Amino acid sequence: MSGHCPRITRAILGWGALALAGSLSGCVEAVPQDVIEAVENIDRDLMELRAAEFSPNDYTQFTHQWMALRTRVQADEDLIRWPWEPNDLEVALRRLQEEGSHTVARLTKERESLRRSAENKIARVEDRFRMMTLQVGAIDSRFVLGQRPVETDLLMKQAHAFYEQGRYDRSLDASDRAAQNLATQAAVLSSELGRYADRGRISQWQQMAKDTITWSRIHRTSAIIINKADRILTLYRNGQKVLSYPVRLGFNGIREKHYQGDGATPEGRYRISNKRGQGQTQFYRALVLDYPNVDDRRRYQLGRKTGRIPASRAIGGQIEIHGVENELMAQTLGCIMLDNTQMALLYDRVEQGTPVTIVGALHEQNSVALTLATLDDRREET
Amino acid sequence: MSKRLTILPVMCALLILTACAKPPTEQIEAAEKAIKEAQASGASTYVPDEYAKIEGALAALKKEEADQEGKFALFRDFGKVEQLAVTAKGDAERLKTEATKKKEEAKATALQAQQAAQEAVKATLELVAKAPTGKDRAALESIKADAEGLKSSLNQVQMAIDTEDYPTAQTKAKAIQEKSQAVSEEIKAALAKIGKGKPSAAKKK
Repeated sequence: MSGHCPRITRAILGWGALALAGSLSGCVEAVPQDVIEAVENIDRDLMELRAAEFSPNDYTQFTHQWMALRTRVQADEDLIRWPWEPNDLEVALRRLQEEGSHTVARLTKERESLRRSAENKIARVEDRFRMMTLQVGAIDSRFVLGQRPVETDLLMKQAHAFYEQGRYDRSLDASDRAAQNLATQAAVLSSELGRYADRGRISQWQQMAKDTITWSRIHRTSAIIINKADRILTLYRNGQKVLSYPVRLGFNGIREKHYQGDGATPEGRYRISNKRGQGQTQFYRALVLDYPNVDDRRRYQLGRKTGRIPASRAIGGQIEIHGVENELMAQTLGCIMLDNTQMALLYDRVEQGTPVTIVGALHEQNSVALTLATLDDRREET
Repeated sequence: MSKRLTILPVMCALLILTACAKPPTEQIEAAEKAIKEAQASGASTYVPDEYAKIEGALAALKKEEADQEGKFALFRDFGKVEQLAVTAKGDAERLKTEATKKKEEAKATALQAQQAAQEAVKATLELVAKAPTGKDRAALESIKADAEGLKSSLNQVQMAIDTEDYPTAQTKAKAIQEKSQAVSEEIKAALAKIGKGKPSAAKKK
């Protein structure tokens, strides 16, 4: 009997220890580490996407939940639970993991979409800007646009820089403003040069040219017609076309001349008031026109009265048809410039008093009108 | 009588314990103040991820405080709330330092870019001013508007600096500097062309 007691005690102790070991091995952590790591990874993904910067509401929502749950995790980290015990914290973390994954996927998609939009917008606006620069250059109207082209250029440089920085929203904003600037440029050109597309005005110019040719025929003498839109000088003799030469105009030559220093080439009926041969001009040979004529003076006075012409500006003068001093000079200050060989031929065929009619355009399909039409067509594209 | 005497001290002890379990208002206020200061120093702009987290931590702290307030007085424990408040305050102070440093760096970079842009524009305007007068000037007249446009654009950089939008100021300044250098090159090319002829005196046009 005395030998049985220790055996029973040992058995009880053995079974007890076994039961305790079994119970302990059945316990689990409060929150599995893999869930916490998964949420931490989502947080890293969101930071890489710069969600706090680009989608602050999404990131705030995520971090608020994450911080609340992390606080609970830290409070519960020393606890263990029975496997059958419900674990609200783990459920909440898994839900946050799922929601966070969706947010990462959505923001990735949205950012890629925004990136593509910014890229496309830059390409479209740049394309339009390039085209407009070419067209504006082709009709010598860069000066008409003032500071606007440089503003567009700066905005496009900013759009590129923001794109490179991954700030696609700002890149789009800069491109949008550049597109608006281009639309304004097109509107300015239409307003300033619209007369080149105006049938009534073109009819007037056609009549002026017709009168000049008739005068040449009736008086059996020479007459010159200069077409600004096409930059062509044509010499008539006895009402017949004798020769046509390309010309260069003022740096603002496409506009109507208003005052001294505006760089515009005047439009109207003039006569050669003086011929300057070699040694009398720095421009090889020159035919001085009688600008300003009566119409010019009347327009100038009206401009002064209405305030369109500043009081400090004089009407100007010394408008000439001349040769080239420097072959590399592309523009004049308002004169009409020919190559020297052509100037020599023209110089010999005209005399003091020869009529010179300068018009904007002689047909509706002139280069300026065509350019304006193209700019209108492309305005909607950006 | 003896039973009553035994219960009385227990009740008193309980009341004392209950009275002691109050929220750590001072620490919470200190944390909130530190977070506000961090935001004022530009943390939400210069360290947005960490700032969002600290705001989240403050919200968690407030929730924990509310949870404890909702418990029966005897079971309230604000130890965790106090610990969170102290941690939030420390984190906010660290963020404030970090944001201030980053903001100062951004400001210095923007000011440097602004100065470079101003110098580039000045050089461009000097080139325009050096151009000869008279007929030869025509080649430069259309470029002159660009130089004036660049000069006007410098105001936008200053405006961005005034509103402490340093990244935008830097981007705008760099664009101006680049364009200004390009315009200068264009002017130099034009001057090289017209330089081949002798400058002429100004005439009426």
